[in-house]
Amino acid sequence: MAIITIENLGKRYRLGQLDPYRTFRQVAGELLAWPVRSLRGHSEEPEEAEDLKSLQARQTLWALRNASLEVKQGEVVGIIGKNGSGKSTMLKILARITSPTEGSVHFRGRIGSMLEVGTGFHPELTGRENVYLNGAILGMRKREIDTRFDEIAAYSGVERFLDTPVKRYSSGMYVRLAFSVAAHMDSDILLIDEVLSVGDVDFQRKCLRTMHSLPETGKTILFVSHSLWAIRRLCSRVILLDGGRIIADGETEDVIKVYLGEDTQDIAAMGSPTGDAEEALEQ
Amino acid sequence: MPRFRAERRDCPAELSPEATIITPPSGWHILDVGALWQHRELLLKLAWRDVKVRYKQTIVGAAWAIIQPFVTMVVFSVFFGRFANMPSEGVPYPIFSYAGLLPWTFFSEAMKRASDSLVGNASLVSKVYFPRVVLPMASVLSRLVDFAVAFTVLLAMMAYFHVPITWRILWVPVFIALAFLGALGTGLWLSAINVRFRDIKYALPFIIQLWMFATPVIYPVTLLPERWQILLSLNPMTGVVNGCRWAILGTGAPPTGMFWVSVGVTVLVLVTGLLVFHKMERTFADVV
Repeated sequence: MAIITIENLGKRYRLGQLDPYRTFRQVAGELLAWPVRSLRGHSEEPEEAEDLKSLQARQTLWALRNASLEVKQGEVVGIIGKNGSGKSTMLKILARITSPTEGSVHFRGRIGSMLEVGTGFHPELTGRENVYLNGAILGMRKREIDTRFDEIAAYSGVERFLDTPVKRYSSGMYVRLAFSVAAHMDSDILLIDEVLSVGDVDFQRKCLRTMHSLPETGKTILFVSHSLWAIRRLCSRVILLDGGRIIADGETEDVIKVYLGEDTQDIAAMGSPTGDAEEALEQ
Repeated sequence: MPRFRAERRDCPAELSPEATIITPPSGWHILDVGALWQHRELLLKLAWRDVKVRYKQTIVGAAWAIIQPFVTMVVFSVFFGRFANMPSEGVPYPIFSYAGLLPWTFFSEAMKRASDSLVGNASLVSKVYFPRVVLPMASVLSRLVDFAVAFTVLLAMMAYFHVPITWRILWVPVFIALAFLGALGTGLWLSAINVRFRDIKYALPFIIQLWMFATPVIYPVTLLPERWQILLSLNPMTGVVNGCRWAILGTGAPPTGMFWVSVGVTVLVLVTGLLVFHKMERTFADVV
């Protein structure tokens, strides 16, 4: 039975929304200037004399359009695509961080999202306090965190420093603790957006090993990554997004071929961008 | 709005058939109580975080919650109480003003923090799902702790000025609850607008200053002519401050007509605040 059903999902941004915040002054200024501008007439080139519809089209951006997908329980689905193709947007909608403009998503169970490591960590609080805070933010109940606290501490490797404020941690320690909390999240569906490749080689190995063991737990995973190596290792099925639309959906190798286009052999020979840890794991 | 039931599952095979649905948001909602209840632990955790962080790395620690209203009271007592000879309804001016400053400080600090709660937690808003109303709520909650600390000073002052504690003091939580709702309502409005228009942050200190003069903190309500008193009652904090003074010092009239006007305005601000907040919530992650 499908655990996630996505139908015709679309997300439109108005280009004004992508601007940084505006002030009252700007809005007021625009409002006041409008009669003056329209009286004076627009000083535009003839090509720019467009009708309302194309003007609207120019000012909106469909980050995701007509995306439909069904994911079965236990599937590990990779999502690949060029930058700006809508991968993160899709995850954000699934994680309920942003709402869709059209379409719908139905899912069963709990969704846990790893879109960023260490969300909510506060530098003034100790490691221990941050574990509880971050856990609460990720949706874990206090008693869940209590039960798992020792595991989280052991996995992170910073047990000795749990009672020091995290602003004293090195960036590696910080990231290890953060990843450790996220890795112990209990959910039926996991959304992962490139949180890998953090920390030193030892920890990267650990992360990758954890990631590789996830399919065996029966969790359904949606995995966005640029690392084709990781996608090949983890995913049985891959989705390719381009310009906000799903243009390929199927077996890992087939879809990767589509993504890479021709000359797949040359590119494969070049190796992956996150070379070190992955090679180390191969050995 | 998505409906979500939390069931603990040890084995993925036991998933319930109940689905959560995500669709484009529509219409106006006041409050999704279910979702808020789901995230109650997060609400408390965020309030706890605010309190803890405030006092870390400060020598004086929790005393800061006392110093602000206390020093203000001293300054007011010197200039308004002594030099300007402000009437104070039969009790010494220091305790008169402190009984007003206590709820006022809670309200203004809570409102200030709540208005910045979304922008200040932008990383949470753009990366994690939870009902966004949790953020301004947690801010207001965290100021309750400060209030409790400052209240102990009030008790000490009452002993010093020989003001008896009567049963009326049990009314204080009621008035503070009203201040809480007022701060929450205003906080919801301001935090939502602040996401789009960052001017709010700069305008707020000024607004709070004016608001304080529109509340009978420094002066008794009876100082003003009747018409002005009615106008003053439109300020939700008027009811709170008057009520607190009545409950603590026994001055002024018990909660009557003016008080209910304040309650009405508070409820109005809260309900409209919730409506506006939830309407704008859908764009927070995109704009913050």
